Amino acid sequence: MAPRKSERLLNLTIALLVSRRFVAREQLRGIVEGYAGLSDAAFQRTFERDKDELRSLGVPVETGHNEVFFDDEPGYRIRRSDFELPPVDLSHDERVVLGLAAEVFRDATLARSTQAAIAKLRAAGVEPEPGPMGFVTAVTAAEPGFTTVWDACLSRTAVSFDYREPGERRTVEPWRMLSRSGSWYVLGHDRGKDAPRMFKLSRMRSEVRTVGEPRSYSPPPVGELDRLSQALDPSGRSGERDAVLAVRGEAAPALRRRGTVLHDPPAPPPAGFTVYTVPYDRTDELAGEIRSSASGVLVLAPPDLRDAVIAGLRAVATRPSSEEIA
Amino acid sequence: MSTSAVQVARLLALIPYLRQHPGISLSKVAAEFGISSQQVRRDLEVAYFCGLPGGMPGDLIEVDMDAVEGEGIVNLSNADVLSRPLRFTPDEAVALVLALQAIRAVAAPSSHAAVDGVLATLRSLAGDATGQAVMTVTAGTPEVNATVAGAVDQGRRLRLTYDGLSRGETTYPVVDPVHVELRDGSAYLEGWALDRSGWRTYRMDRIAAAEPTGEPAGRHGTPPRRAWLDPGSGAATEVTLWVSPRAAWVGEYYPCVRTQPVADGSHVVLLVADPTWLRWLLLRLGADAAVVAPLAAGDGAVIAAREALAAYEDAGPGPEG
Repeated sequence: MAPRKSERLLNLTIALLVSRRFVAREQLRGIVEGYAGLSDAAFQRTFERDKDELRSLGVPVETGHNEVFFDDEPGYRIRRSDFELPPVDLSHDERVVLGLAAEVFRDATLARSTQAAIAKLRAAGVEPEPGPMGFVTAVTAAEPGFTTVWDACLSRTAVSFDYREPGERRTVEPWRMLSRSGSWYVLGHDRGKDAPRMFKLSRMRSEVRTVGEPRSYSPPPVGELDRLSQALDPSGRSGERDAVLAVRGEAAPALRRRGTVLHDPPAPPPAGFTVYTVPYDRTDELAGEIRSSASGVLVLAPPDLRDAVIAGLRAVATRPSSEEIA
Repeated sequence: MSTSAVQVARLLALIPYLRQHPGISLSKVAAEFGISSQQVRRDLEVAYFCGLPGGMPGDLIEVDMDAVEGEGIVNLSNADVLSRPLRFTPDEAVALVLALQAIRAVAAPSSHAAVDGVLATLRSLAGDATGQAVMTVTAGTPEVNATVAGAVDQGRRLRLTYDGLSRGETTYPVVDPVHVELRDGSAYLEGWALDRSGWRTYRMDRIAAAEPTGEPAGRHGTPPRRAWLDPGSGAATEVTLWVSPRAAWVGEYYPCVRTQPVADGSHVVLLVADPTWLRWLLLRLGADAAVVAPLAAGDGAVIAAREALAAYEDAGPGPEG
């Protein structure tokens, strides 16, 4: 029965917490309510499971010997300093921030975790303050694989999934979850490629499954994760080439703000246009952005960018409008 | 995790919490732990049978069950052994770190010190685990964040320099700001647009500048909840697009009713509230997308593309001859 098991787990925690010395199994069998009455085999099995379950909750159950020469049976204890949340002291402003943090997530997994964290802080005497009005947050994680990947990342368990195409199986040791402008990514070691890779969760084409046991690998240190996150960032831009664009009036704001005005253009632009240079990396991406401004932006150079823009415009322009069909 | 494990994890916070809050109401406990009052009662029944090894009456945690059932008030005592909560688990620390990273991107720079203070505290409590997730959101520049937060807080009218995406032009709306809203990965300012006499949502990263006009903001009631979804005025219509495999991201990126694979790509049914947005999208995708139905939805893009090609012809041949 569930309440009985909860009682047993909690009593075991308390028994291990109040003892300074390692407590042998047989002793625990005698003092923890719920172990009495079990056969030897059932007790061993139940105790093993309980101990693992407590560890999975983050309860630091330590195994060790009281005697220096290890000739006694191993025993168990919980060191209070490893168990307890240390004293936390937050200023008024910091407690306002904490109050806001409680409201950020609408996603069930993340909301539950923040709520549990804040409940622990409250239990440690740190009360969040009501936040200022005029600040609303609702961050979700809509990708179907999110919870599995998130849990796997935190418990250091490998996962496998089809990526981009059904059947394109990847097995990955997740190191870090990243949310970039609303999309979730996971950075990890791709076992097949034997290299670090970044995966977008919305491109996973199958159910995500865990592979093997938790805590089966160690992620690189945080500094290395930061470096890899940046190096593999899909939105990372270095701006290797320069485009020369004529922009009409206040059109294409995003392009104008990334660019610099070219005061001495090779040829005068059409009336009402200003010439800018804009750094870029990928021709097709910039061509798409330029096209979206229609006649507001004309490409002066380089030729391959100009061709890409014109080819795309032709594709759209040659489609019949609804009037021409009718 | 088994239900018992979940319950024990909660009790390791609940017991010290109740020691901190003697005489607290059952409903408040339920709200702060995100569980039902019935579940709080069940948790208390477990605590009631736990305590120091030995199981003598004086060893057990005491809960005034009469007060729980009668007045809905919780008093728990004789639980000195659990005077402090269990340390954070990685998921708790990491989720809180993500929430703080999101707040930092949206908050006025004046509150960065407080956010960083909490982050530093979490790092000292949870160590390396806090590096296991990173959240970046699209938000305004520090100057824009500061001006907007100040104006919302003090009820001041703003003139924005706004680089609207679908209009493809900088506009200068005068806005009475109501709040900043973080929706998934992007921050938005919601406010009453004076020139349009209506609610509008502005993406913070497209606000190039914000300046108080010197007037107080007017009162316009409460913005409708769906305003952020629907930047245009009319209701949204369904438009079916064909997209090539290269543009399959459209179905992932934009709110879409359904996606269906076809021989040479896929059909994506989008909810379109603003025809200028669709024109923008079709021009951007070029040869990688076409309107399937209703055909008229694509007219804006077809006309704009023809105009743009004409502009290239007027400007003469490119530098390559």
